[in-house]
Amino acid sequence: MQTHLHTKSPLRLGLAGAVAAATIASLVAFTVPAHASSNPGFVLYSAQGYDHAAVTAFNATNPGFTVTLNDNSTGPLLEQIQAEGNNPKWGVLWVDGATAFAQLDNEGKLLKHSVPKVSFNSLGKANVPTDGSYTPTGLTVTGALCYNSAAVKASQLPSTWAQLEQSKYASVLGMNDPSQSGPTFPLIAGVMDQSGKYQSGSTSKAVADGHSFFSTLAKGGLLVSSTNGPTLGAMEQGSINMALVQSSACYGDELNGSFPAIRVKYLNYSIALPSAIGIDAKQPAIVRGDAQKFVDWVMSPAGQKVMQTGDPEGDSLFWPVLNNEKPANKVIPALSTTNAITINPYIWGPLESSVNTWFDKTVVPA
Amino acid sequence: MSDSRVPQPVGVVIEELRKEFGEKVALDGIDLTIEPGSFVVLLGPSGSGKTTLLRCVAGIERPSSGVIMINGVCVAGPKTFVQPEKRKTAMVFQDYALWPHLTVRKNIEFPIASSSRFKERKVQRVDDLLERVGIAHLASRYPNELSGGEQQRVALARALAADVGLILFDEPLSNLDADRREQLRIEIATLTREAGATAIYITHDQSEAFALADRVGVLNHGSLVQCDTPENIYRHPKNAFVTRFTGVAGECLVTSAKPLDDAYFNVSLPFAPSHSFKALGVDCHADMSSLHFFVRASGVLLDAPGGGDGVCAEVIDVAFNGRGYEHVVKIDDDMSLTKVFSARRFERNANVKVSFESSACFVMPAKGVKGS
Amino acid sequence: MADVTTSTAARPERVRAPRQRWPAKNPFSLGGIAIWVVLFLLIVAPVGCFLLLAVSPHLFDQGSQWFTLSFIRQAFEGYTGRGIFNSLWVSTLVSVLAVSAATTIAWLVHRTNIGARRLWSVSMWLLLLMPTWMMTLGWTDLLQPYGAAHAIGINTSWLYGEFFGPLGIIIVLTSSALPFAYFIVSAGLQGLGPEFEDAARIHGAGRTRTFATVLPIIAPAILSAIAISFAETMSDFGVAFTLGYHAHFPLATYTLFSAISNFPANFSVAAVIAAVLIVLTIPPIALQSVVMRRSKSYAVLSGRTRAPRRREFGRRSRYLSAAAVGLVVFIALGVPIIGALVGSFVQNLGDASGAGVHFTLLYYKQVIHPSIVDNGLGSPLLLSNQLGLVVASLTGVMAIVLARRLVATHGGWSQRITDIFLLGSVAVPGVVLGVGYIFFYNLSFITHHVVDIYKTLPLLMLGLMASALPGQTRFMAGPVSQIQPSLSEAARVHGATRFRTWRTTNMPLMSRVLVWGWLLTFTKTISELAISQILYPPSQEPASVTIQSYLANFESGTGTAMTVLTLVEMFGVILLALGIYRLVTPEGWRRTGFSVVN
Repeated sequence: MQTHLHTKSPLRLGLAGAVAAATIASLVAFTVPAHASSNPGFVLYSAQGYDHAAVTAFNATNPGFTVTLNDNSTGPLLEQIQAEGNNPKWGVLWVDGATAFAQLDNEGKLLKHSVPKVSFNSLGKANVPTDGSYTPTGLTVTGALCYNSAAVKASQLPSTWAQLEQSKYASVLGMNDPSQSGPTFPLIAGVMDQSGKYQSGSTSKAVADGHSFFSTLAKGGLLVSSTNGPTLGAMEQGSINMALVQSSACYGDELNGSFPAIRVKYLNYSIALPSAIGIDAKQPAIVRGDAQKFVDWVMSPAGQKVMQTGDPEGDSLFWPVLNNEKPANKVIPALSTTNAITINPYIWGPLESSVNTWFDKTVVPA
Repeated sequence: MSDSRVPQPVGVVIEELRKEFGEKVALDGIDLTIEPGSFVVLLGPSGSGKTTLLRCVAGIERPSSGVIMINGVCVAGPKTFVQPEKRKTAMVFQDYALWPHLTVRKNIEFPIASSSRFKERKVQRVDDLLERVGIAHLASRYPNELSGGEQQRVALARALAADVGLILFDEPLSNLDADRREQLRIEIATLTREAGATAIYITHDQSEAFALADRVGVLNHGSLVQCDTPENIYRHPKNAFVTRFTGVAGECLVTSAKPLDDAYFNVSLPFAPSHSFKALGVDCHADMSSLHFFVRASGVLLDAPGGGDGVCAEVIDVAFNGRGYEHVVKIDDDMSLTKVFSARRFERNANVKVSFESSACFVMPAKGVKGS
Repeated sequence: MADVTTSTAARPERVRAPRQRWPAKNPFSLGGIAIWVVLFLLIVAPVGCFLLLAVSPHLFDQGSQWFTLSFIRQAFEGYTGRGIFNSLWVSTLVSVLAVSAATTIAWLVHRTNIGARRLWSVSMWLLLLMPTWMMTLGWTDLLQPYGAAHAIGINTSWLYGEFFGPLGIIIVLTSSALPFAYFIVSAGLQGLGPEFEDAARIHGAGRTRTFATVLPIIAPAILSAIAISFAETMSDFGVAFTLGYHAHFPLATYTLFSAISNFPANFSVAAVIAAVLIVLTIPPIALQSVVMRRSKSYAVLSGRTRAPRRREFGRRSRYLSAAAVGLVVFIALGVPIIGALVGSFVQNLGDASGAGVHFTLLYYKQVIHPSIVDNGLGSPLLLSNQLGLVVASLTGVMAIVLARRLVATHGGWSQRITDIFLLGSVAVPGVVLGVGYIFFYNLSFITHHVVDIYKTLPLLMLGLMASALPGQTRFMAGPVSQIQPSLSEAARVHGATRFRTWRTTNMPLMSRVLVWGWLLTFTKTISELAISQILYPPSQEPASVTIQSYLANFESGTGTAMTVLTLVEMFGVILLALGIYRLVTPEGWRRTGFSVVN
């Protein structure tokens, strides 16, 4: 109409059009659902390093539905599940540590009797809940004492937890913050579990014992970092020489060459940390059925193989819970050398929030 | 420019127009009829509603009630509101409102673009307009590269380019210096009449109003107080407000007033109890006690102290204005006269005789009565 | 046309028009309602759901209590209480520091002939695009023992302990608040005619006194800058999560996060903290809006506007002032970039084993060859760019509509509410929006009867839009307010339809601010972490989340390399967008309006 006012060259129009088209195309791509099938499949909430591999392998078996992976850290996954409340979107949860599962079970969110009929070894059996609401898929241990062999000799290390309270150890010791690192609450719970008070039947006294133990470490100079990464980073930088972390993190760093001098020592006990998988009880039957197929597959030889190869320098470095499986890498010693103990998640799980809050208030700022 | 392009001037009829902004009443029932081809100036102090009235005619403001008709077509009424672009008007804004991102040429071209299809004709027309407003050499400049006067010429050219029967002017000269103001005023008067359009022009400057207008409408507090030719407004102001706003030399309370005939009154004033002054009575049937005496500057005569019949006064100030001298004289503490012209110079502190011409003297209630 | 006949027919008898009232312009107009519906869905409902948890956890299946005040007490105690207190004083200090620096820099850049002016303006822009977590990463990489500074032979061990404390937190937060304040104050300065400065100087005021005299005239802009810096700082998560945590200096956003990330999460305490964060921003907002109302806003962008004269510095002052601004820019922008850049080329940064410093391309190789790490940067970055494109475009449109409403002359209460609401929203931490989105968009009623988009990209998109919209609107309000309403009125009167007016008048005048606003949201979307982390759908990870997971998993070399590549990519998009803008727009468009470099 008034071409004279702003001269429009084809180039201008073309470019402007291209930008508009790209915007619309992206928008359409976002809003149009990728597929719509009669069997919706389910969403797997997982924090495991091998979850990509597992989902890819499982979907390739063509079970007639698709598993979608929601891969995130344990914290955000549990946060999402909790926020979803009575309208859950998750079908299966697969993270380390049984305490969270015990709490979900207490809230009635887990499908009971979902443990596949497989041949568990003794530690595996010890970690299967009586109501079958979740399945241990592998074990790592937490409370392993990782140390920097370039800075400290094995002979200079403590050999019991009690010795850590000495300031010569506590001042060069690090650990993670339980409110940011999933495997750390089980560690603290393990210490409480092993206190004489708990053995004599008083949980509250055991908790007080644990408080006093970690307060002593804090006074002695314990360095608390958020997660494995920063804790081991502090060790690499020389702020600390040893750290209480998850075994697989130490073995991983040793293997991938990012921290060649890292070694592991097990004290008089360590705490078994099952990686566990559980099914959402609130899903419709068809979804629960699909989920059960996935759990069965994970515990099958094919599933176990993917778990052991999917994250070779990380989460694949675990001890199998099945009788006929062996650890994936020679760097992993016999489980018996770890002095692993199992804690009752139904006793310790409900204490997680209060213990973590106490830790945040008292130990972290010290 | 060919005759065929001269637009037909249009008439404007405004009835009972009201506009409120929240609690504030900006227009309080305006009735005004504007003949096709006339140049109407709306005069009023700031806040009198003149800008609002103009914006309502333009369609930028939506009246609260009342009717506006342009060229016999209702553009604003209880159930009608014609969008500004459909009203076939043009406007010169107080701040010029030139689009800063367009060159002078494109600014002027803007209104043509929607009404003309032929490119060459358009170019020709813009050239013609640029020539007429005297800024042909600035066609490719951007507005911020122009002086205020040049910018206002662009704004004028743009309004003329619209080729419409009604051009609205919103205090177009208020941002210019005196020199340019005079010059542009003449151009506006000439070019608008040449273009054959009806014009509504608002200003707060009475000399500008009298110079431009066929008819002047005086507005106060949202009401149209008087609408008439400039001569009638000056000679027969309707009330004290109009009188004051169109210029008085002095004003004082009246001691007593007696009707002389149909038009004139004999009044006595406090500074000369023995004297009687003749003045045009306006609205004097009201309370006699609150009457004021007004005198236009043109009705004050100065004389040397000895001569003639008049009141004694003292010269406070004298200013040369080219043609003669403008004096400020003081009769007593309550009565001073300003802008008193005389071809002869009376020095400061000199005593003079002051006399009044009765046709330029008025007696009326001090408070302007509302409405027409 | 029917009206025409009736009115003309009525003419002869000179029938008086009935004194009938026109329907008053409705504050609940269709457009107004549409805007509030959008704001409700984007911000009010999700944040509202979250905040309700503070007193009623049972409402969202988070506990047994229907109504309780116990969480309020809990939030003010101990650790969380300390976080609130720290956030309050740090944000106050930071906003004052940032706005003082920003005002000085803005005045130097816009009103003097300071050396390298364009460089400082561009630097402010780059700073605006840097998220705080990237800044922290750069600083940490640089200062940590055996870090980047060590690698290039500078001993910074004396600074390390200092930086990992309130000092570092204040430095990074001030750096991050600086550019926003700078642009708001700059807009105010551009609206300030040179005559005020001239008048002051003619009447004998020196440099300092001129500045002090003119300052109150731009007080609304300055207060606006303070309010927004305060709100931005209060809601910042990047620093709280990294520096704040490691320095054992809890900030409210961290304690909020920590309340949520515990298991089971204490959403109620988190909600109280969020409410406190929002409430604390009310005083500066109120102050700003009072001052705004008292002083008339300056509408100055018209054909008549002239460029202000600049104060001519002598040679020495030019260099000195440039050096001072340069130092600020170096600390705020240069240091973190150098840290991240060097850090990404050093093998095993922070290794104390005495193995020596090895420069390497290893981490870049890992990023570029997805086979080496299980998930490269490629598809996350592509996704982030797509998200950025959509979010920036839609937010831009909404922000311009809101900004115009915000600066409308006859605004009344609805305008004031919009204003306060938008500023208050700036104080909502991303974590709160993210979790609020789960609560609201996963309500059974919503998923079954309205729309089921939880765990999909559209929801992430909405979340990102919600987080970008308040800031974006603020950013646009300044330039938009300077456009004289008479410009579009002139277009309408001279025969342009609404659409043509928009196309030929408003759009060209706003095109620059639209482009820059678009770029701002685009880059902020790509680097956004808190909401992305919570809302990204299964198997569709945005770049920031990928980077963060590498950084958190002790693969900081790879993470840092990804950060650097992402920055480079964003910079490329900025150049591309500006290039396209240059190509497609007529010259006049680029002569007017908001300007980054002037």
